[in-house]
Amino acid sequence: MILEVSDLDVHYGQRRRKRRALAGASLSVAPGEIVGLIGETGSGKSTLARAVLGLVRPSAGRIVVDGEDVTGYRTGQWRSLRRRGVIQYVFQDPLRSLDPELSIEDSLSEPLVVGGMSRAEAAKRVRTYLARVRLEEELLGRLPGELSGGQRQRVAVARALVTEPKLVILDEPVSALDSANRVQILEIVKELRATGVAFVFISHDLGSVAGIADRIAVLYQGELVETGPAREVVTEPSHAYTRLLVSSAPTLSTASAGRAEREALRALLNA
Amino acid sequence: MLRRIFSLASGRIALVILAVIALLAIFGPLLAPHDPLATSTDLLAGPSGSHWLGTDNLGRDVFSRLLAGSRISVLGSLEVAAMALVVGAIPGIVSVYLGRAFEWLSLRLADTLVALPFLLFAVAVTALLGNGITQAMLVTGVLVSPMFYRVARAATMSVARSQYVEAALISGASLGWIVRRHVWVKVLPPIAVAFAQTIGVGFIVVSSLTFLGIGVQPPAPTWGGLLASDLGFLSYQPWAPFAPALLIMLTVWACNLLADAMRDVSGEAGRALINARKVRANQVAAGGSQ
Amino acid sequence: MTSLAESPTVTSVADPVFAVRDVRVSNQVDGREIVRGVSFDLTPGKVVGIVGESGSGKTLTCRAVLGILPEHFTVSGGSVHIAGHDVSALSPAQWTALRGSTISAVFQDPASYLNPSIPVGSQIAEVVRVKTGVRRRQARRRTLDLLAAVHLRDPELVYTQYTFELSGGMLQRILIAAAIAADPQVLIADEATTALDVTVQAEILDLLADLRERTGLALVVVSHDLAVVAQLCDEVLVMRDGEVVEQGPTTQVLYRPRHSYTRLLITEHEQYGLDRYLDRTEAQS
Repeated sequence: MILEVSDLDVHYGQRRRKRRALAGASLSVAPGEIVGLIGETGSGKSTLARAVLGLVRPSAGRIVVDGEDVTGYRTGQWRSLRRRGVIQYVFQDPLRSLDPELSIEDSLSEPLVVGGMSRAEAAKRVRTYLARVRLEEELLGRLPGELSGGQRQRVAVARALVTEPKLVILDEPVSALDSANRVQILEIVKELRATGVAFVFISHDLGSVAGIADRIAVLYQGELVETGPAREVVTEPSHAYTRLLVSSAPTLSTASAGRAEREALRALLNA
Repeated sequence: MLRRIFSLASGRIALVILAVIALLAIFGPLLAPHDPLATSTDLLAGPSGSHWLGTDNLGRDVFSRLLAGSRISVLGSLEVAAMALVVGAIPGIVSVYLGRAFEWLSLRLADTLVALPFLLFAVAVTALLGNGITQAMLVTGVLVSPMFYRVARAATMSVARSQYVEAALISGASLGWIVRRHVWVKVLPPIAVAFAQTIGVGFIVVSSLTFLGIGVQPPAPTWGGLLASDLGFLSYQPWAPFAPALLIMLTVWACNLLADAMRDVSGEAGRALINARKVRANQVAAGGSQ
Repeated sequence: MTSLAESPTVTSVADPVFAVRDVRVSNQVDGREIVRGVSFDLTPGKVVGIVGESGSGKTLTCRAVLGILPEHFTVSGGSVHIAGHDVSALSPAQWTALRGSTISAVFQDPASYLNPSIPVGSQIAEVVRVKTGVRRRQARRRTLDLLAAVHLRDPELVYTQYTFELSGGMLQRILIAAAIAADPQVLIADEATTALDVTVQAEILDLLADLRERTGLALVVVSHDLAVVAQLCDEVLVMRDGEVVEQGPTTQVLYRPRHSYTRLLITEHEQYGLDRYLDRTEAQS
């Protein structure tokens, strides 16, 4: 397993205003696996990702990254773990996650240079992965603002890949993209999966993940309510919330589940 | 940035004026036709071939004194701005990162400085540290530093909360790397605007302090000092204060103009401005072809 | 269950409340034409969908027909008729009178259209008073009715709440309530569900379908997602780079797409979307 999260609790705030963001979440990711993590606003999906990245401290539970128990790590330990580039993260909006004043080359080589690689070697590595995400070298001198949305997201993906990570967490990586670019990113992800890289695909939309994920985990109000193979979760959802997700996801099938069913499920969940 | 400032008429005017003032500051004392300290028997004379702007109450050549005084005046205002920059901007940037205690302390300190009446404070400090232009300017610099503190802090905060900083953090970047690589460039333009403005303020401060006789020992000439002594003999030479006053006003105005131009060409406002000009140009072109 | 075959087919009988003919929009900065000819008709209760990516011109089309194009953009061709009026002849005052009472719109980011320091209820009541000229007390009653009509559970409570106390889905409902305050005949929903969670998106889409059935409201639904449009619309326009590349009844566009771009949109859903696990059957008799 490249990632093992067990019984994770995360709380925000202090004392009386303490709020539980995640309760007893357990999730494991194997090499070369794509896990879809589905949850809506406030479900705790970002909290889970941030805990795995060491950006929030869990109040209980265990996180094991690539065989290393990181649960109680201090800032310095996190920094040296991050510099090895085992886990990478791709933000939803590449325009905001790339420094607008840095050239694409500088942005791409940042994780490598921070990790202690020489500039020359970093430049070589950057070019390899730029080709992997199907971008031309002449983009290296440009600024993020001069690229199209699809190109920017591919740069963001390349940035996550340059350190040759074992796990990449993608936060809504395609929701801001148009169809052609969405398909392209998903194809790149598939290719990389074949080389043994594992992915956690975070999304609020079951529909956008269903087609690519091997397994799907559904978060609802801080709890993982359902985990299973993608086909099973989509075709035979067991939890009412998962059923609502499936029924709410827009599909091309004009014969999809209707308003009445959603109405009933909402009533069931609110009860 | 400089090229874009130059594309604005106001920016061009400001830069030209400031360039002339800078040349005055560098070469002024050398260009002075007379010794600015040499007295003569020709008291309070009107403009003439040898004394272009006449002489003062001790018979010194006013034109030479203006030229010679430009260096101290310019240096003084630069000192104010530089001091304010160092004392204000750096704590402003690090206040975002160094934790709550530093943040609270520095914020309260900035509030305190804003509340102090600066002339009084300058008088008190020069009384304590001795009457010199450098002491006076450094004190003034500290007193105007809260502006830099706030500007730098606000700019840093917007960068610190951005995703690319978080992305760098996830890559294992240290605080120093983040500030050098990501924060500095974004904080620079607003600080540059504040800097230009402060130089303007510095001029007024230097002039008003020397006008009050603080900071500069007579008989060393400064623009403010000239203005002060000219005002003393208003009944003999009512036109005399115009020359130093005009220089002070011109410089302050140019600094503010430059600050405005810098603000106009950077960020969102800059883009809107350039778009509006293009539309006008297109309309003119279309009108011409009809 | 709203299959398309069952939807009211008033198209042939009623006169269009909203007729858009070959509308073109140009950017004055560089003189380029950004939207190159969009045409469609809306009769009461009909829903037209516009699909396209960002930059395809779909939002500019909406803004053009609402008379609220951003600076430096102008309508460079075509005509728009709203309830029989040619809008090109309208003065700004006439436009203001028309917007809200005949044609109305909701957009992507609901929070930015509401004042955060005033309770949402009074903001809608203000719209009601300005648009219908009723007294304060009546406006309040009407607002509560509107909040109930958009399925907000506790209208009395919501009336007194501020934007920060409400979720994105609730804010969008409130804006829809404000948009239908003066009983418009046409409502434009421009990416109105894009920033929302899927289950909330479904709620809003269900609400729009409900309003259309109950009041005969005609809708223009704009989205980057073909599936969102497919759920609700009778007719679909597929836009790309300012041009309408495909236009026709929804079933035709979905099951017999002609343009390669439309096929790409469909393939994406079939390969990577939920449709991969569902049987795509044409729900027609």
